[in-house]
Amino acid sequence: MNSHEITIIGYLVVLGGIVVLEVLATRTRVPVPSLGDLLTRAMRSRTGRVGILVAWAWVGLHFFAR
Amino acid sequence: MRVSRAAPGPEKRGAHDRSGEGPGAGPGCAEAVVVPGRPASRVIAATAGLREPVVWVLLAIAFFTAISGKPVDGVLMLLVASGLAWDAGRRALRHPGAGDGQAPAVAWPAGRPGGRLRLAVVAGLLAGGAVYAGVVGSFSRYSWPATAGIIGLGTVVVLIGWHGPVRARPAGGRLPVAGTLVWIAVLVAGCLWELAALLQQPSLTTDSYPHPTISTLTDPVLSTSPGRSVLLFAWLALGWYLVER
Repeated sequence: MNSHEITIIGYLVVLGGIVVLEVLATRTRVPVPSLGDLLTRAMRSRTGRVGILVAWAWVGLHFFAR
Repeated sequence: MRVSRAAPGPEKRGAHDRSGEGPGAGPGCAEAVVVPGRPASRVIAATAGLREPVVWVLLAIAFFTAISGKPVDGVLMLLVASGLAWDAGRRALRHPGAGDGQAPAVAWPAGRPGGRLRLAVVAGLLAGGAVYAGVVGSFSRYSWPATAGIIGLGTVVVLIGWHGPVRARPAGGRLPVAGTLVWIAVLVAGCLWELAALLQQPSLTTDSYPHPTISTLTDPVLSTSPGRSVLLFAWLALGWYLVER
């Protein structure tokens, strides 16, 4: 297994973790909040809300803009 | 004829969302109350923004983005970080002792439409989003027209968020601590993995095949116009989801 594959597996593990946590939160009684609950909680303050929206805007800038 | 449900007024919206509010967010606190404290306490209040972790995160993003060859991103992040710090300091001066309060929901005059009207609004937004994604996606990646399209929409969305949530939401209870920590661990691990790949590139602006970043992995999709349009539409949908939080 080379470095390229190991790096990609790392991303897939993180992605898998996100999917598992979301499934646990929405389909079971395990005390795990859903990602939506986390975002809602984080966006209750102005700095949290602006910070997350700026992070979203930054993703667009990063992938598409100069 | 179908009658839409009456929309709650701004005062009713505020009633839902009071739990985390600081003074000034409520209807009776519209006027600034500048407390004539000692100069030292006013200086401390004015620097309240520097105690906000989000401000420092944005400053770090601005720095690393700028040295990665994306000065426009860096300047925009710096502007937002400065604006947030200034806003927090201004609010702290008006209301000493208050935390980062929650602003009231934006008083959209029409409230949330119901029935067919809501369906028409959603269809309009979907059509507008598809047109936007198609047009901006047709521009070359990293071109000035694409940059203008992204900055324009991003600015509008951030300004909407700065005003407050677009609709009132129940305050909700406390999140389970352990489950929240697991989420944070997974998300931080993802960021660190991406950072490790970035730092193992020959330089911050040169891609590496052995250590691809997410940007490198998405390059094949984003090199085509349809690929850009699809991902732009997904980005728009995520933005709308966040604005609705």
